[in-house]
This record gives sequence, structure tokens and C-alpha cells, in this order.
Amino acid sequence: MTPELLVEVPGPVHAPSDGAVVLRESRLRAALGHVVLGLLGVACIIPLYWLYATSLRAPENIYSLSPFPWPLSVANYVEAWGAVNLPRLLVNTFVMAAMVALGQLLTGLLAGYAFAAWRFRFQNALYLVFIATWLVPFQVTMVPNYALLNQLGVLNTIAGAIIPNLCTALAVIMLRTHVRSIPQELLEAARMDGRNAWATLWTVVVPNLGPALAALGVLLFINAWNEYFWPALVLQRTNDVLQLALHSFIGPEGTQWGPLMATAGLACLPVLILYLVLQRRIVDGFVRSGLK
Amino acid sequence: MTLLEVPAPPRLSAPAAVTIPWWRRVARAAPPYLFLAPGLALLVVWTYRPLVSAVQLSFYSWNLLPTSPARPVGFDNFGRLFALPDFGASIGRTAVLILGLLPFTLVVPVVVGLLARHVRGRAATVYQALVFAPMLVAPVAGAAVWQWMLDPRAGLVNRVLGTTTNWLQEPGSAQLAVIVITGWHVLGFATLVVAAGLAGIDSEYSAAASLDGATRWQTTRWLTLPLLSPTLSFLLLMTLLLAAQWSFPLINTITHGGPSGATTNIYFLLWDYAFGSFDAGLGAAAGLVFFLGFGLIALVLVRLTERLSFHDS
Repeated sequence: MTPELLVEVPGPVHAPSDGAVVLRESRLRAALGHVVLGLLGVACIIPLYWLYATSLRAPENIYSLSPFPWPLSVANYVEAWGAVNLPRLLVNTFVMAAMVALGQLLTGLLAGYAFAAWRFRFQNALYLVFIATWLVPFQVTMVPNYALLNQLGVLNTIAGAIIPNLCTALAVIMLRTHVRSIPQELLEAARMDGRNAWATLWTVVVPNLGPALAALGVLLFINAWNEYFWPALVLQRTNDVLQLALHSFIGPEGTQWGPLMATAGLACLPVLILYLVLQRRIVDGFVRSGLK
Repeated sequence: MTLLEVPAPPRLSAPAAVTIPWWRRVARAAPPYLFLAPGLALLVVWTYRPLVSAVQLSFYSWNLLPTSPARPVGFDNFGRLFALPDFGASIGRTAVLILGLLPFTLVVPVVVGLLARHVRGRAATVYQALVFAPMLVAPVAGAAVWQWMLDPRAGLVNRVLGTTTNWLQEPGSAQLAVIVITGWHVLGFATLVVAAGLAGIDSEYSAAASLDGATRWQTTRWLTLPLLSPTLSFLLLMTLLLAAQWSFPLINTITHGGPSGATTNIYFLLWDYAFGSFDAGLGAAAGLVFFLGFGLIALVLVRLTERLSFHDS
């Protein structure tokens, strides 16, 4: 048990020594915090570090345990480049993630605007229809959806991986909250100007939500980029996105660890760069929305 | 506050104004429904229609081939399901997975969150970035690097520990590996949620408590944790509902439900029924049972939370 902290200062005589105790205590706690958080952070990052370290080793050093990959080599990337069509995979994955994120942003914006700016019949029931989708697991709907995609003739195409994911409850909920936070006077003023609801959305609501839309867009993009279920099901034959191409290096006659790590590293790179650039904004937005 | 609350045109001649033409009333009420239409249409086509089809499908026997007709079999699928030993076993394994993940989604995030309050400045941002990073790693890429680290001969884990365990080929250690890897993915998210919850608690409460002579541990136990209970029950609910979902890409990539079924949880079982043994009816029946079961769990937990939560009024 740690010694207890006395904040209640009994009298002026003891004040200096108590102050010193308090200071030492809080320093100790901060040090403990640094040690625990530091160890946890390192433990969390080791697999990610090992992924890139392995990918940058020369093929003959692939089993090396040295913490730093030296000499650096891009041979694994070259080999991966030869085995799978990396540019095509990157473009496909990007198109899929961008289309899904934009679609979810648009349907979320329209629905969020409807829920925030009007009061209408069946409003709560309809809101529940959106939220309840969280309870329906992908594995329950996959067989009927697979059959429908088959009828539409979009199996094994990128469109088949995009279309079923164009609406998400997450975007509706977040954008409803954001539209609500816009001062009502602004919407009123637009109405006084004789602008209709559609024009108000694009000239008043969207310009006011710039940062929020961008942050949510990044989040949705990351989710779509990392998505595995639908592409795995829809693109069974073509394996046309990065996440699925990883399977090419895992074979019955052994796994090619070097090129596998290189491709996995490329699959993570865009998202990690986005996170490095926007970390403050993503985390800040998250914490602030938790405060409300 | 709403655009609909436009004052109605002054009713000068009362009887005439009552009969506003129907098309004008419709036109005035239409906008919110029109804005909802695209999203609703997508949900109906891709979530609710398949849910209804899954209900129908659960009463049929069908092998997923467009050419072969589905045969009605009544409640046979449900009967078969409950007779299969796999079914009960997969539920048991899912329970183990959920219990194993609780340290990662509740215990460690709370401890870290409490400690992190004493760490400020740039270092705090760096720790946060490190702990959150695994959340952003694509599940399949994460699976690939862990498979590499757990390789029995050349992997980092065995060579550092000096062991020769074939982690992914022995039932106990395979389940442990799935728990640890899934935990690694979600730890950052849970930590961030707890941090947000702690930031929302007014620091005046603990200041008042320590003025009253409460020790630090007492303050944490009787004040901070109860005030944090809505956050904790949210994380508990997410773990219960999503644990099997989180581990799915991992299982599908590296263990394929094995060895000898040791990592087959409920969602992998569904996947296997539909696309492994092409028994669509059985898969649909199992899916519905799990859907109803999880719906019930969610309902009970939300009710319990409402009753037991200690609210900051």
C-alpha cells in the first residue's frame, strides 16, 4: 500500500515539510506513470516495429534477431513487386476506401441533417432503425447479400465490395450531433433569405462542419481501408485489394516472410501516415465528444 | 428550432383555410423523409432485407448453388444445430475469449487511465500514440506479423524466450494467442475511451473528498470508479457483443478455426457452415440464434446499467 497523501494541512508549523512530502509524492506518482506507460507503449509497438524491421532486412538476414535491420535492403519490396501487382492493389484499395468513406459521409450527412433540423412523425422509430443495424452481425446477412451481389453481377468486382457499405449508423449518429451544434439562428437566417432546405444544407451546414466532416471522413476511410470481411467474401477469386493479396505469400510449401512483411507494411503505411499527421485532431475530437 | 415550425398562414377565413390541399401538406412534410431516403434505402436493401431472408433461409435446406432449389425443412435446421456438439463448444470458446479479453478492454485501460492522470505534456501524447497505433494496423497485416513472431523455429517470441512451443498448433496456446493478439488490437481504443471518461469527471469531487480526509485509494474506489461506471459498462457491452467479431479476421487468416477446432468461435462457425460446408440453412439458423442471444444480452445489460449506474447529476 502506498503511503497516504495528506492534503489537509494541520497547521502553519508543519506546512513546509508537508509541502515537501506532497511534492515528492506527486513526483513519485509521475515517475511510476512514466514507467508503466512507457513499458506498455513499447510492448504495443514491438510487433509493428518488427514488421517494418523484417521487411527491410536483406533476404539472407531474414532470421536475424538484431534490433536494427542492417544493412538496409529493399529486396523484399522488389520481390513483392514482382509477385503481386502492387500499384493495381494500392489503387483498388484506395478507390474502395475513398468511395466507401465518401458514400458513408454523404448518406450520414443527409440523414443527420434530417434528424437534427426537423421534428417529424416516426422520428424516433426511424432513428432506431439506423442504430439497430449495430446488432445485426455481418455473418447473418452475408449469405442473402452474397446471393444479391451475384444476381447483380458484381461479385469479384470492386463495386461489389463498395455498394453494400455505403451507409453506416456511426456517421448518422455523429453528424446528427454535429448538425445540432450549429447555431439555430444560422439555419433560421438561411430560411429568411428564402433558401430551401437543400441549399441551406450546402451553403450553411456543410461550410460550418468542415473540420468535423474531415475528421469523420478520415475515420471512415481508415475503417474502410482496413476492412476485411466484405472484400474477403466478394473478391474471393480476384483478391484485388491489399488485405487479400497477403494470402499470396502464405503457401503450403512455406511462407515467404520477407515479401509478406513488405506487403503488410505497405498495407498499413497510408493509415499510419494519416495518423501521424492528424493524431492530435483525431484524439482531441474523440476526447471532446466523450466529454459531451 | 426546426424548419417545420413555420407559423401557419394566418387563418383569415376559417372554414376555407382548414382544407389545405393535400399535396401542399405532403410537400411541406416531405423534406426530412427525402433526406433520410438514401440511407434508409441502403439499410433496407443491405441489412433488413437479408435479415428477413435469413429468417426464411433458416427453414430451408440449400447448398448455395443457384441451380439447385432450396428445400423446405421446417425446424430441422434448428434441431440439427442444437444437436451438433460444435455449436455448444463454439459458445463455450466464445465465452473464454470474452473473459480473456476483459483484462485488455477493462482492467489495463483503467489502471493506465488512472496512472496517466499524473503524466502530462509531450510524453503523454507519445505514450498515447504508441498504445493507440495497433488499432490502426489492418487486422490481416497484424495477423501476418504475429504469425511471423510466433513461428516455432524462426519466430521472435520463441527465440527470445528460449522455448520451442508451436504456439498456433496447440489448442491451449492457440486460443491464448488469439486472445493476446485481439487484445493488442483493441487495447488502444479502450484506453482512449477510459481517458475520455476520466476527463469528463469533475476534479472538484476528488478535491472535496481528500479535504474530507479520504485516502487516494478510497477516492478512487468510492468516487472515481462509480463515476466511471457508464464508460465501463459501455466497454463491457462492446466486449461482449464484438469480441468474436474482432478476432474473426485473425482466425480466418492464421488458425482457420484450428487446431482441431480450438479457436472456432461462434462467428467462425457461421462462416464455416455457410462457406465451408455450404449449408446455408444451418448457417442462417445459427446466425439467428446468435443474433437473438446477443440482442437479449444487450437489452439486459443496458437495463442493468440504467438501474445500477451512479450518475453525476
